[in-house]
Amino acid sequence: MAALQEKKTCSQRMEEFQHYCWNPDTGQMLGRTLSRWVWISLYYVGFYVVMTGLFALCIYTLMQTIDPYTPDYQDQLKSPGVTLRPDVYGEKGLEIFYNVSDNKTWTDLTHTLHEFLTAYSPAAQEANINCTSEKYFFQESFQAPNHTKFSCKFTADMLQNCSGVPDPNFGFEEGKPCFIIKMNRIVRFLPSNGTAPRLDCAFLDEDHKDVQALEVEYYPPNGTFSLHYFPYYGKKAQPHYSNPLVAAKFLNIPKNTEVVIVCKILAEYVTFDNFHDPYEGKVEFKLKIQK
Amino acid sequence: MGKKTPEIYSVELSGTKDIEKIDKTDGEKYRGLQNSGVGPGKNHQKEELKKEVALDDHKLSSKELETKYGTDIVKGLSSARAAELLARNGPNTLSPPKETPEIIKFLKQMVGGFSLLLWTGAILCWIAYGIQYSSDQSSSLDNVYLGAVLALVVILTGCFAYYQEAKSTNIMASFSKMIPQQALVIRDSEKKVIPAEQLVVGDIVEIKGGDQIPADIRLLSSQGCRVDNSCLTGESEPQSRSCDFTHENPLETKNIGFYSTTCLEGTAVGMVINTGDHTVIGQIASLASGVGNEKTPIAIEIEHFVHIVAGVAISIGILFFIIAVSLKYRVLDSIIFLIGIIVANVPEGLLATVTVTLSLTAKRMAKKNCLVKNLEAVETLGSTSIICSDKTGTLTQNRMTVAHLWFDNQIFMADTSEEHSNQMFDQSSGTWASLSKIVTLCNRAEFRPGQESVPIMKKVVVGDASETALLKFSEVILGDVMDVRKRNRKVAEIPFNSTNKFQLSIHETDDPGDKRFLLVMKGAPERVLEKCSTIMINGQEQPLDQSTAEAFHTAYMELGGLGERVLGFCHLYLPAGEFPETYSFDIETMNFPTSNLCFVGLLSMIDPPRSTVPDAVTKCRSAGIKVIMITGDHPITAKAIAKSVGIISANSETVEDIAKRLNIAVEQVSKQDAKAAVVTGTELKDMSPEQLDELIANHSEIVFARTSPQQKLIIVESCQRQDAVVAVTGDGVNDSPALKKADIGIAMGIAGSDAAKNAADMVLLDDNFASIVTGVEEGRLIFDNLKKTIAYTLTKNIAELCPFLIYIIAGLPLPIGTITILFIDLGTDIIPSIALAYEKSESDIMNRKPRHKKKDRLVNKPLALYSYLHIGLMQSLGAFIVYFAVYAQEGFTPGTLISLRVEWEKDSVNDLEDGYGQEWTRYQRKYLEWTGYTAFFIGIMVQQIADLIIRKTRRNSIFQQGLFRNKVIWVGIASQIIIALILSYGLGSVTALNFTMLRPQYWFVAVPYAVLIWVYDEVRKLFIRLYPGSWWDKNMYY
Repeated sequence: MAALQEKKTCSQRMEEFQHYCWNPDTGQMLGRTLSRWVWISLYYVGFYVVMTGLFALCIYTLMQTIDPYTPDYQDQLKSPGVTLRPDVYGEKGLEIFYNVSDNKTWTDLTHTLHEFLTAYSPAAQEANINCTSEKYFFQESFQAPNHTKFSCKFTADMLQNCSGVPDPNFGFEEGKPCFIIKMNRIVRFLPSNGTAPRLDCAFLDEDHKDVQALEVEYYPPNGTFSLHYFPYYGKKAQPHYSNPLVAAKFLNIPKNTEVVIVCKILAEYVTFDNFHDPYEGKVEFKLKIQK
Repeated sequence: MGKKTPEIYSVELSGTKDIEKIDKTDGEKYRGLQNSGVGPGKNHQKEELKKEVALDDHKLSSKELETKYGTDIVKGLSSARAAELLARNGPNTLSPPKETPEIIKFLKQMVGGFSLLLWTGAILCWIAYGIQYSSDQSSSLDNVYLGAVLALVVILTGCFAYYQEAKSTNIMASFSKMIPQQALVIRDSEKKVIPAEQLVVGDIVEIKGGDQIPADIRLLSSQGCRVDNSCLTGESEPQSRSCDFTHENPLETKNIGFYSTTCLEGTAVGMVINTGDHTVIGQIASLASGVGNEKTPIAIEIEHFVHIVAGVAISIGILFFIIAVSLKYRVLDSIIFLIGIIVANVPEGLLATVTVTLSLTAKRMAKKNCLVKNLEAVETLGSTSIICSDKTGTLTQNRMTVAHLWFDNQIFMADTSEEHSNQMFDQSSGTWASLSKIVTLCNRAEFRPGQESVPIMKKVVVGDASETALLKFSEVILGDVMDVRKRNRKVAEIPFNSTNKFQLSIHETDDPGDKRFLLVMKGAPERVLEKCSTIMINGQEQPLDQSTAEAFHTAYMELGGLGERVLGFCHLYLPAGEFPETYSFDIETMNFPTSNLCFVGLLSMIDPPRSTVPDAVTKCRSAGIKVIMITGDHPITAKAIAKSVGIISANSETVEDIAKRLNIAVEQVSKQDAKAAVVTGTELKDMSPEQLDELIANHSEIVFARTSPQQKLIIVESCQRQDAVVAVTGDGVNDSPALKKADIGIAMGIAGSDAAKNAADMVLLDDNFASIVTGVEEGRLIFDNLKKTIAYTLTKNIAELCPFLIYIIAGLPLPIGTITILFIDLGTDIIPSIALAYEKSESDIMNRKPRHKKKDRLVNKPLALYSYLHIGLMQSLGAFIVYFAVYAQEGFTPGTLISLRVEWEKDSVNDLEDGYGQEWTRYQRKYLEWTGYTAFFIGIMVQQIADLIIRKTRRNSIFQQGLFRNKVIWVGIASQIIIALILSYGLGSVTALNFTMLRPQYWFVAVPYAVLIWVYDEVRKLFIRLYPGSWWDKNMYY
């Protein structure tokens, strides 16, 4: 096998490169003359314009086939996720640690709750109607103004002791903190057949269960999400919809120990046994209150 | 013949002196030899070679030799002494060329090509994990896995390439298995047969006709010993050996026999003076291993391609790293983007595909009798622009055959084809009856017994080449020659010798009524004619007058002019009165008449060209390949053969021809007028390299005659100086430097020596030149098809790359994962890209010029641009449509996706809103992301089907090529679909692979884009065909 590649010196290479960048003999820059560059650029511009047009057309067609009120598929959202406020994430999920005597450690937490509940102030909920039916609030037609559907009011005061009004510290100061649990919205999702979904919080660890059960006060009472907040008709139909909430006030948290609490939503169509998804139908969090 | 030997030898073995000389003057000429990589060892080798050539054993007397080597001519060495010497000097074998250790070969595969880039990716993965881990102990192991997968990919493809290489090496190893050679040696005063490798210096060996000489020996006694030195000197004429010191030069004196040459006839006793690598042949062989083995054209092309892809990958990677950092992404994230970009850009499966493709072709070529030792050589043959071919054996049948007869004042033609099937000449004349009798009787050659079932032409004969030719010729025409000889018992014989230049024998006749003896004679025509006073015409004896003598001369000149070896035949019936039945003939005193014989006729013999060669040469011509004949044979014979096979075409003339036609001096002829040239080794020796370059450049038809093998090397180098890709054929040990030097060395499988086979890149199993042509065709086809394969593979890289770029710039959730990319590169795309190797050529590839190795690149600008910026772009858009469709139908409309990345990827966000106000947990989003990967994957896969179909041709319409002619393409398409189905539906539940079950309709979303790709490419090809040479053609044809 023979030598096919001669070794070139660096200066030779540079010279060749310069020659490539500008070839005075043929007037070529980077291998093409100016007019050739213009032509090739024009071609590419034209080609890309056409391609972009085609792509836009495809996206437009796609959007035309999509129902603006209900998504075509909800297979990923069979069961709603559950979230907790205040939400502080540590290395492995939610971790809420604070010191009762050091208010700096929990003002952030209560601040988060206040912040979160601003969306539930009477002013924010003004556009929504008062509901008391405790039954599914089906609306097939758009009777609300601007071709929308009605949403039920959920105001912070429904959370009573955990609304932040009677106790702006949400019980953090006394070691009996309030946590607000929210169920994720899913369009046209019905959690159960007639009974309202209920929140149930308990210690996860076996040993705590033995010693004493977790004492919880739920607001609204019984920890239910009223059925009239369901089904949700989507952002376009219910622009002012806000998720119903349940607040849980833990009364007997052992001090200076880390406990794991799990809050599950009990409803027929809400599952909480998805191995992969820790936030589906339940929320787990670590809590440690120091004194 | 004897005259030229000195030159050959001096060129041949003073090769090292030349090297030294040229070292000082110009470093160019022996560049190949010097750049051997042997380094300091080279000098040592040179020294040794010089020392060995200064051999003086031929000058010593037997006595001096005995003392020098401590041996006894009669008793031989003692076994103990022999064992001691064997232990000291090593066995009498040529040390095989230094093999690269297997582990080095293996490691080379691990770091070659894209491997380094992928290693970088893998290491970056681990670094990324390290950074993650240091800040967050619980970080996911994804990056570690990805790094491991990348490393695994490199190792697996490396193993695969190594396995492929090892396999082709093994073919060779099994092929060159040598039969252990035996030697008859005198030791401890006894004759013993020992394996030749156990010979030591000082051993006394006996050789006889048919043996290979087992070491370099100094002859001590000889009876009619003749050797064939062709494997050393390329000279096919047998040379006599005796124990006389005839020449100062050890290589020319008659009393030395060289290792690996063959003793043709006679017997001899000799003393071993050199063994193994110290033998003359051993030195030449080590010279060959010193010639560097450099990169094949295809290796260079692939390297070029790797550089392009790696360049693109690295520059885009770094560019986007900078962009990512300046967009305030974390460095860690930017590293991960970089990995993604590298993985997307590197066609991981391509190099393995290329290897498979090459080995498929190698297999196909092996079926056609071209055994390829080095896979890459498959393509080299395709880019060959000059073939330097041997004459004997390659172009010719390598056996003397009767070509013409002259009797009754007429020249008859004999059939010289391989089969010898029909002899058409007139056999009714009485002269023929006599001539055939002489041919039959005056011949010492015999068939080796036990070959009754073998066709005559294939039977093994004991005897020299011309006698064999005559024997076979008469056997074909007359039937059982041995029976004829039996019936005409031989009573006396004078064998051929170079002083008499004739052979004579006296027989009883098979006619019981005729008690006369028949004297038959053959020999050099002029000598035979001298002894004749009559000539037989039409069966009648006529006095030999001036006109018949002239007719004889004309015929003799004509046949000689054809390059044939002419023999004259005559006979005489000895009068029964003078020579009664009981007469005792004495060949010493010649008590019988050897003059006034009756001249019967002439027979001329030639080593005829193989019947397939002229056709093959024509094909080479039309394929733009120059065929140069290099032979050690006589210029006239060489020219005659060259003419008959078309190396010198019928209407072209050499300078000498023109001079003769115009009746002017050779010097007056303008060199430009002559297309052909016949150059002898002597002329070549006086030429400067520039003159030789000029000669080769200016003549399209060249024959080098009377050349030494060393000159072959010079010729090859000259061709290479002109940027030609040179193929060289050869069979002798001494051809091995040229074989190595050539871009592709082709050794003869039957006639070739092991050294030649070792040095060569390819072995012609049938020694047939025509096989080279089929090899060229395959080589060209594979080059075209590799282009297609690479174009096919490169296309989807853009579709794999764009997602990352869009992800970084527009902040969409990642459209395709790194693992998914690997599943395309190493899964769905593998079989289709191999399938392109089965594509038939679009036009007659043997009608175009060989590719210019510096201009016609495998991966050229149009190929890269068209694949990346046209088809690749369309593919990305098509795949994005599928991606957007999946997200939109799940609730994330395209508008909501933009800049969603940060929130999307936060583990702490478990209520991310989509376009409908629905809230998603992290895992729900992740699963959707995997569905997106799968969708993007399917999108690419569907469009790769279209890509595969369009890549079937580069110029012709798919419909011209035939959509269904290449069935393997459809196997490829089926494999793509099946793999995708398995990944999506079979492994959709394995979360680690990031595939999900995709709704069936998404498989068809990209189909319009696939159709668009096909239509666009058809339009491209249409314009290329309509406007050849246009702007479009230049920019769009790859």
